[in-house]
Amino acid sequence: MSSRRSRSRQSGVSTEITDAQITDLVSKLQQLIPELRARRSDKVSAAKVLQETCNYIKNLHREVDDLSDRLSELLANTDSNSAQAAIIRSLLM
Amino acid sequence: MSSLQPNVDSTNSETMQRSNPKKRRKIGHSNSLSLVPWRSETQQRIYSSKLAEALRYVIHRNPPSLPAKSSAGREVRETADRVLAATAKGRTRWSRAILASPLNRWKLRRMHKKVHKASTGLPKKSPETRRRLPVVQKKARVLGRLVPGCRKLTFPNLLEEATDYISALEMQVRAMTALTELLTGGGSLASA
Repeated sequence: MSSRRSRSRQSGVSTEITDAQITDLVSKLQQLIPELRARRSDKVSAAKVLQETCNYIKNLHREVDDLSDRLSELLANTDSNSAQAAIIRSLLM
Repeated sequence: MSSLQPNVDSTNSETMQRSNPKKRRKIGHSNSLSLVPWRSETQQRIYSSKLAEALRYVIHRNPPSLPAKSSAGREVRETADRVLAATAKGRTRWSRAILASPLNRWKLRRMHKKVHKASTGLPKKSPETRRRLPVVQKKARVLGRLVPGCRKLTFPNLLEEATDYISALEMQVRAMTALTELLTGGGSLASA
């Protein structure tokens, strides 16, 4: 692909979106996702990366929700003193 | 023209800093945006302390005997997200979106209807549209709905936001897990 990267000419905003940019971003994204990290980037299509990204983000959201529920229960049940003690402990660690 | 400092040139998240690669190899996995290193322990500690403080405020505001467990969980979740966005220092779109409208997010999540449009077929696959096939476009749209504040972004910006958002979420999970374990351990110690 011809490198049509718009270097900073007169216009500061690059209006062209090059393939190389997108491929680069997709590969970076792929590295983050544990499922796809092992596979070689040329064997994974962009659609698959996006799909797994969506699934991964949904999973993370669900984890955060679960943790929030647990945290809220813990905070409600434990005494405020011990909760503060735990929090202070966490700051010291 | 590319000899100037790239930092000064584009501190905003609009342009890709590709013109000066030798200046840009930061240690974190973050790319051109000067992002928060979500993987670092320091960052997690910062987030944990901020979160702990925010949660303390929340539980003092509401009496501990909260009848509706689900709303308490949601409050914790919103607090956690807001602290996360605040830790991001407002450099990313998703963080700004979270800070701007906390109510909006939950309403949108509640009314999350799966809009399955029949793929408006692009009959011709010219080289222009090739890099944005309808399949990819559909998935990009789903992704745009998942990342807050990113519905109308261009494709590369969306990917950038998504990478940062994922790292931030991972850190959030780590921090909250640690906090949960701490509270679990602290609770049993206090009762002894």
